[in-house]
Amino acid sequence: MARRAGSDAELVARCRAGDAAAWNELVERFSRYVFAICTQGFRLADHDAEDVFQDVFARVYAQLDRLRSDDSFRPWLAQLTRRACIDRLRAGSRETPTDQLEPAGVDETLSLLEEALAVHDALGELPDHCREILERFFARDESYRTIGEALALPSGTVASRISRCLDRLKALLEETGGAGRPEDG
Amino acid sequence: MITRHDELGRLIAALPPAPTGWVRAAQELPAARRAIEGMISRAEADAAYRRRVLSDLESALVEEGVEPSAAVLSELRERFLSS
Repeated sequence: MARRAGSDAELVARCRAGDAAAWNELVERFSRYVFAICTQGFRLADHDAEDVFQDVFARVYAQLDRLRSDDSFRPWLAQLTRRACIDRLRAGSRETPTDQLEPAGVDETLSLLEEALAVHDALGELPDHCREILERFFARDESYRTIGEALALPSGTVASRISRCLDRLKALLEETGGAGRPEDG
Repeated sequence: MITRHDELGRLIAALPPAPTGWVRAAQELPAARRAIEGMISRAEADAAYRRRVLSDLESALVEEGVEPSAAVLSELRERFLSS
């Protein structure tokens, strides 16, 4: 997982100026989000999700000039992805009304993913060792043993490091006000 | 504000990485666009090349060093048929 380099608006502006590295960074920054909307929000099968994923980034690249405000990139991307997913579902089910194509709970899932993206932003601000261990354990679902072998750490150290890194992430989110959903339990 | 470790973990887990090949193909889009523009220009001046591309879009893209993803293939097809 790459460390964040600049705000969304700065990144979008650099992409618009033809900066190839900025485009790579933009895809890297938002690939998980688009992937998750396709597969978790709309539950697309792999081959459909891949087509939609590529189509979304093709549209982003082609339509970046039409974005009214560089600060509104995230909602624009979410909407673009949502429409592309619905188009794909509609193509596979011509007789189903559009409002019945969206899976139940899609709004809640998309809201959760937006919050998750804010947490990933904060994760990008943590030291490398924290980002790596949290990414491996939670996002890649690796076991303590696998992580321990990869990072040459005893399992007990893996567990305590995860806990300490979560504390740092929590403190960072509190500091920046990111992912501001109220605690529910 | 999120204060529980399990809640934070759940949010990290909610965004697993997209497959590497998908990300790479999306990152190569600008290069693919440039390659397509070059192919269109060449096809306008060379009817035999145009026929060859239209007969096998995938191979034509691979020859240009472009990953023939569905989105790129679709764009190439549209551009060739409308040019």
